[in-house]
Amino acid sequence: MLNQSRLQSLTNLMTEQGWDLLLLYGHCWRKDFFRYLVNANFSGAHAAAALSRSGDVRIALMDPWDYEIVSAALKGGVCLARDFAKALGELAALSKDGGVAIGGMELMEARFVDTVRQSANRPPVSASPAVEELRRVKTPDEIERIQKAADLADRGYLHFAETVEAGMSEYELVAETEAFLKENGAEDNFMLIASGGVEVVGMTPPKDRRFEPGDHIITELTPQVDGYYAQICRTLVLGEPSAKQRESFAIFAEARQAAEDILRPGVNIADVAKAQNDVFRKYGYGEYTGPKYTRVRGHNLGLHPDESPYVLEDVNYTVKENMVIIAHPNTYLPLAGYMVFGDTLLVTSDGCTSFNKAERKLFKR
Amino acid sequence: MKRGLIAWDRKELPPEAFESRLAGVRKSLAERDLPALVIYTDVWRSNQGRHFSNFMPYWNRALIVLPRDGAPVLLCALSPRVYAWIRSVTILDEIRPSGNLTQKLLEMCTEKQWKQLGILDLSRLSEDLFLPIQAAEIEALDMPSSTVWPSTDDWELEMHRRAAKLARSVLTEEFPEAAGCTDHEFAGRLERRFRRAGAEDLVLLFTDGETVPHSAHGAKITESSSVSVALEYRGHWIKLSRPHPCSGVAAPLENLFRASVKTLGADLNTPVYVETLSGPYPYESCERSAIEPGALFALQIASRSGQHRWFYGDTGWRAPGGAELL
Repeated sequence: MLNQSRLQSLTNLMTEQGWDLLLLYGHCWRKDFFRYLVNANFSGAHAAAALSRSGDVRIALMDPWDYEIVSAALKGGVCLARDFAKALGELAALSKDGGVAIGGMELMEARFVDTVRQSANRPPVSASPAVEELRRVKTPDEIERIQKAADLADRGYLHFAETVEAGMSEYELVAETEAFLKENGAEDNFMLIASGGVEVVGMTPPKDRRFEPGDHIITELTPQVDGYYAQICRTLVLGEPSAKQRESFAIFAEARQAAEDILRPGVNIADVAKAQNDVFRKYGYGEYTGPKYTRVRGHNLGLHPDESPYVLEDVNYTVKENMVIIAHPNTYLPLAGYMVFGDTLLVTSDGCTSFNKAERKLFKR
Repeated sequence: MKRGLIAWDRKELPPEAFESRLAGVRKSLAERDLPALVIYTDVWRSNQGRHFSNFMPYWNRALIVLPRDGAPVLLCALSPRVYAWIRSVTILDEIRPSGNLTQKLLEMCTEKQWKQLGILDLSRLSEDLFLPIQAAEIEALDMPSSTVWPSTDDWELEMHRRAAKLARSVLTEEFPEAAGCTDHEFAGRLERRFRRAGAEDLVLLFTDGETVPHSAHGAKITESSSVSVALEYRGHWIKLSRPHPCSGVAAPLENLFRASVKTLGADLNTPVYVETLSGPYPYESCERSAIEPGALFALQIASRSGQHRWFYGDTGWRAPGGAELL
């Protein structure tokens, strides 16, 4: 439950930064900072782990069921914190002159940060950017977990593609997909969907719209296995794809390939976005690469399904080996509406490789 | 994560419910001479935003501004491409794209010439939003949720009852059939049934009787198992737990539970777990004393027999006549 190699990385970071105490905070939406050190899928409202520079770990959990599970696994150093602010104050009081840094401070309720401030007699600093940077480069153990999540994403998408039929609603299809993923070990799943024709401009949670012949159905599936997310984006046509759907998808396929051709250590992430966008520009669709029609051209993945750096032309970040990134040229095109296409990619020493094995094609059913 | 059906059935939850709630907010704002109330909402902490607008930022976060004079305004980072969908499932019409929430909020204050602002549970804002608001020229004043949402209203109660009825009926049908399968497989069955029935979100915990309920991890479901279901139906959460119906303890444990609801389990010698469902989060562990009149709660109890523990629980509210189940 306690990751010893990360504990070492974090204490090294603390020494480097001069922090006495590192708090890793999580709530039910964003458990990622906490889970970087303590692999517990807590269900209560708040959790925090306090790490001293000498490697001592103390944990505060607000939910008694979480407390029992974690304390049984760790044999000490865990407290049940019904008054979570008070517990944070007690943890912060363990700090000395170096003060307290908090991973996930931005996510914390302000009253919690204030308690830490008062208890440590100085304002805490945010450790989020530094811890996020540590998290970006994955260890072999993390890569193994992401591979499992990607395998499940592949199988989940095949189930999705085999289950969809005309007359079924979006939310019923998502229910079937969700059931499949949970049956096969997913802790959680992040998923968006849309269906229809050229009027489809983006994805949302599932609606009660029923599929019709000729629809194209888009989804991004992001199952979580043992803490880690992997994503797959695919487009499916219900029936034989039209010429416009094929023409449109071919542009997405070329853009996805362009991203994968350029992604390697040392490249600026902005260039990975530009490589995708240049394909759209080449075909006269450059205006559809901006925020009016799309969000990002990909993003980092790990303990959260939508991590920075985002793949955008105005984001400068030098890609490193063993980062895990999805490059997806998802956007609206007037040819056939919004389409999606992308795999979870591992940055290798000289390029990248896909975790996903699902066919790279315009699916049809 | 939200991946169920997010919908607004106006027959089920009529626009009058929101009009009544907004009227209460406007009255509170008038009493304090404040021009607007700001409500923070995110994918998990959505109870309050949902209550006043039916809005759910399904993977993101947002601010909902409720002016004393005028219609609600949504500040969110979601793309304008999904605004039509947002309008179809909420009372919101004006939506302002806001990659930087506080910057847009402060711009709105300047535009409206607001010098003060009420913030719902100010000290519970996330730190990255709290700091720039505190540093701005605008005077941000705390409006505790109890001042604008003093008690569970009848519309909410009805929605929570629907959620509870759904959870109870599906569990009653599915749990007897689950013995022999793994908790993952049982989780899959429940996901299918609940989400096809319109559940928006679901948190399922399981125990083989040797621990408290926790995430599925591949253990077999046996007669010693219990399951805990937290379910969100159209923005309204409930939480319950049940022992396996063939455990032999189901009926006596249910009787013990029902007899203890009135006191929120204060008279029991077994472990009792109390959570509020009336706070900003779907459910939040708390002391019994935190369940104030009008509040929703989840109550779970544990019973031990030999090496095994079983869990039973359900959702209720502190009605005028005392705590009762939904």
